[in-house]
Amino acid sequence: MITVKHITKTYKSHVQQKNLFKDIFFRQFKEKRAVHDATFHIDENEFIGFIGPNGAGKTTTLKMLAGILYPTSGSISVLNQNPFDKKKEFLKKIAFIMGQRNQLIWDLPAIDSFDLQCAVYEIEMREYKKTRDHLLSILDCGELVDKPVKTLSLGERMKMELIAGLLHRPQLVFLDEPTIGLDIFSQEAIREFIKEYQSTYKSTVILTSHYLEDVKRLAKRLIIIHKGIIVYDGSLKNIIEQYSTEKRVKITLEGHISEVKIRAIGTPLSHTHPQLIYSVKRIALPETIKKISETLPFSDLTVEDASIEEVIKTFFVEQKTEV
Amino acid sequence: MRKYTKYEIQIIMRHSIRIFWLFARNSMRTTTQGRLGVIIFILGKVIRFAFLFFFLYFIFSKTRILKGYTLQQAALFYMIFNLIDTISQILFREVYRFRWIVVGGSLDTILLKPYHPFLRILVGGVDVLDIILLIPYTFMTFIIASQNAPTGFNSIIFLALFINALWIATSFHIIVLAVGILSAEVDHTILIYRDITSLGRFPMAIYQEPMRSIFTFIIPVGIMMSFPSEALLGALSGVNILISFVLSSVLFMFAIQSWGYALRKYQSWGG
Repeated sequence: MITVKHITKTYKSHVQQKNLFKDIFFRQFKEKRAVHDATFHIDENEFIGFIGPNGAGKTTTLKMLAGILYPTSGSISVLNQNPFDKKKEFLKKIAFIMGQRNQLIWDLPAIDSFDLQCAVYEIEMREYKKTRDHLLSILDCGELVDKPVKTLSLGERMKMELIAGLLHRPQLVFLDEPTIGLDIFSQEAIREFIKEYQSTYKSTVILTSHYLEDVKRLAKRLIIIHKGIIVYDGSLKNIIEQYSTEKRVKITLEGHISEVKIRAIGTPLSHTHPQLIYSVKRIALPETIKKISETLPFSDLTVEDASIEEVIKTFFVEQKTEV
Repeated sequence: MRKYTKYEIQIIMRHSIRIFWLFARNSMRTTTQGRLGVIIFILGKVIRFAFLFFFLYFIFSKTRILKGYTLQQAALFYMIFNLIDTISQILFREVYRFRWIVVGGSLDTILLKPYHPFLRILVGGVDVLDIILLIPYTFMTFIIASQNAPTGFNSIIFLALFINALWIATSFHIIVLAVGILSAEVDHTILIYRDITSLGRFPMAIYQEPMRSIFTFIIPVGIMMSFPSEALLGALSGVNILISFVLSSVLFMFAIQSWGYALRKYQSWGG
């Protein structure tokens, strides 16, 4: 589906010399490497979480895969085509949806943008109506299609953007920060929608998001990019196992317990009665649980992995020390 | 480069015309949403047109001949200039909004649609208000042209050069788009284009050499704005007709090359 070999993208930017004359007539440029020697392969029907800090090169990579940007060097094959050729049959199979970009017609109702998409992608009318109504029903927003786009809230607009972008049932979907700036309810609705869409239409999805919850809930495979270099490519489970060396033991206590007893197990991460949380090394987990069962009366005990945010934070801290 | 069959070309053309129509329809619906704006815009255009006609009349109240052209002939140049200029504005209005498409990042999504991006960024914002003005312009041009009694042959050459003028306008606007991608600058470039083309409001004969030749063949506003009128009056040589087609072809090729170069250099702002 996607094969990327040693792609590099370098941007040239103007350096301010604090001298107007020099800035106009003797301009100096510096080169910034946004992506360096990236190589990876993505198969059909995969859901990839593509993450990294701001300016890491996520969007640049996605834009090269879609054919918006030309790589400085290296080769890209997407759906057996060079994306930069922008062949019609290739463009009909992909969708690039950006959370911060608007492709709907601002002054007109979303239904007009949908109809336009139907003509642009030459979708058969019956198929178009079926897909449109299905997508609207997943997002439960049928009543919004007749309102001018400019009157919709950010979350409502994003729902319409997603529908407009997916009406042609693309084989490959690039989702760039689809939940950015949305409230938790809209984020949740969009996550569910993406999940449902992918399982129904069996498309390959590449998702970038700053909300790691999006990645955790949707992606099975993770590609991490840092300073333009791909530093991790593997399963989400692996990275959690590798970098989540500690587990959270959450206990709901029964009755009042003395601080001495609590500290006898270990220093708690937090204690707001009746909730008590310990952070325990994976290796010491059986021993600690045994101790808790013997000394602390509790009504509930759960063991959880560290949050994905903490795992990724640990990962980047280690990367920094390695670089 | 892949060669298309006749059937494939027909399919592509049909698809493109359908997309063009939908963009034009949506542009029309968007424009007519603000009724006060519509009234003010049309009023402004009518006043501007009337003032320029008054200016022409004022000149001829002082002199009977303008560099060898009578009032009717000079009016013909002015009307044909207006027709070419108005049709260009009707078709290429979206170019005026191109800066925001580039800096706002919408160009990314446009480049990924299965149609030629020119359908959206060049002719995707047909200006319905100028279409309204085109009707009286065409009528007046027809009246003035018939007073000059053109021959059938001259009328055919006029039509060919009129289309050629729109082809030159297309090339200029494509160059503006390419500059827009490379520098995110559109407003000034389009103003320069407008200023240059406005030189063609009157016959090229009113300019001294070497400016006349520069305006005619180098820029080439003369070919664009004056040659169609000269052809209608039977005052254009065969060599000049040939030169005009060659130059417009060269300009078009240059515009397409510039566009391709700009796309390769496109940095996709924001992200």
